[in-house]
Amino acid sequence: PFFVNRGGLPVDEPTWERMWRHVGRIHPEGDQVAQRIRGAADLPKIPIPSVPVFQPSTPIPERLEAVQRYIRELQYNHTGTQFFEIKKSRPLTGLMDLAKEMTKEALPIKCLEAVILGIYLTNNMTTLDRFPISFKTHFSGNYFRHIVLGVNFGGRYGALGISRREELMYKAPVFRTLSELVFDFEEAYRRCWHTLKKVKLGHCVSHDPHSVEQIEWKHSVLDLDKLTREDFRKELERHARDMRLKIGKGTGPPSPTKDRKKDVSSPQRGQASPHRRNSRGDRRPSGEKKPADSKAMPDLNGYQIRV
Amino acid sequence: MDPGTGARKERPKPREPAARLEKVKQRSAQQELKQRQRAEIYALNRVMTELEQQQFDSFCKQMQGSGE
Repeated sequence: PFFVNRGGLPVDEPTWERMWRHVGRIHPEGDQVAQRIRGAADLPKIPIPSVPVFQPSTPIPERLEAVQRYIRELQYNHTGTQFFEIKKSRPLTGLMDLAKEMTKEALPIKCLEAVILGIYLTNNMTTLDRFPISFKTHFSGNYFRHIVLGVNFGGRYGALGISRREELMYKAPVFRTLSELVFDFEEAYRRCWHTLKKVKLGHCVSHDPHSVEQIEWKHSVLDLDKLTREDFRKELERHARDMRLKIGKGTGPPSPTKDRKKDVSSPQRGQASPHRRNSRGDRRPSGEKKPADSKAMPDLNGYQIRV
Repeated sequence: MDPGTGARKERPKPREPAARLEKVKQRSAQQELKQRQRAEIYALNRVMTELEQQQFDSFCKQMQGSGE
């Protein structure tokens, strides 16, 4: 189960008790964990990390490292209860308010919170593009979802975020193409026995913290079961091109076809487009596709490598 | 001179109504609760992080042992 604290802070009693009950169920020492911690007089004092502040001359890559250090200092949230409720459809301004609250309350976070925080902490870096990258992976019969904040600085791609796995979060902005970045994540997943199934790429996020725009989380949806390796790469590069051209879904009709070549970046594609297919529909993997992952995993009391 | 006037002028202020003082108290209590919860959350997170790491390490050893 995945619990979310929806009542703000301090955590209300029902949510608090639910958190401890969950811990008691999943930890081998059961309720002893709660007994040791709850009400203990000698708990370590955890300093509240300082939000990084930069001189105007600080290079962007260095700022990104500092932002990532800050995110890491909050720690990945392993408690089983997410402390900040994030509604992805909220206007950016509301999400930025939430990010500000995260910096004040300074609690452990998970990947989606880290993305919102990453946006907040990089809003003043106007030469840095930020866009969400979502992953859906398969491991041992289950599907897992993860998200990072892709960044593009001077044509070099990287990522900010937080994960249980070190290789699935921060990437320095050194990748020359978006494909290289995503393939790097794919390889990192492979090293922890996850098979990448789907990638969703969002559009660039506004730098205006008071914007009422919503974050576009799924400008491109790439189902790896339906794409050859080359098509996957091409779609990633198409998305990168879209971002460079700042073409969004907008509210108006698509530009006239005479002005657009068949392969020009556009989210307004027909049903034949790979990323428009319903991935829950008929799947007929071609011979070029990878076979389904059917390796038997050792059963460590049902342990799942989560990311 | 109206004796009431002098008495009113000399009455000590604070003018803050009791409700506002109560609010300040509540805010302070909330802040303390948040601090307490934060300390327990991080103590819990440390325990759960260690558990996750142990389980991950064991799993990796098993995978390596099975010739993956």
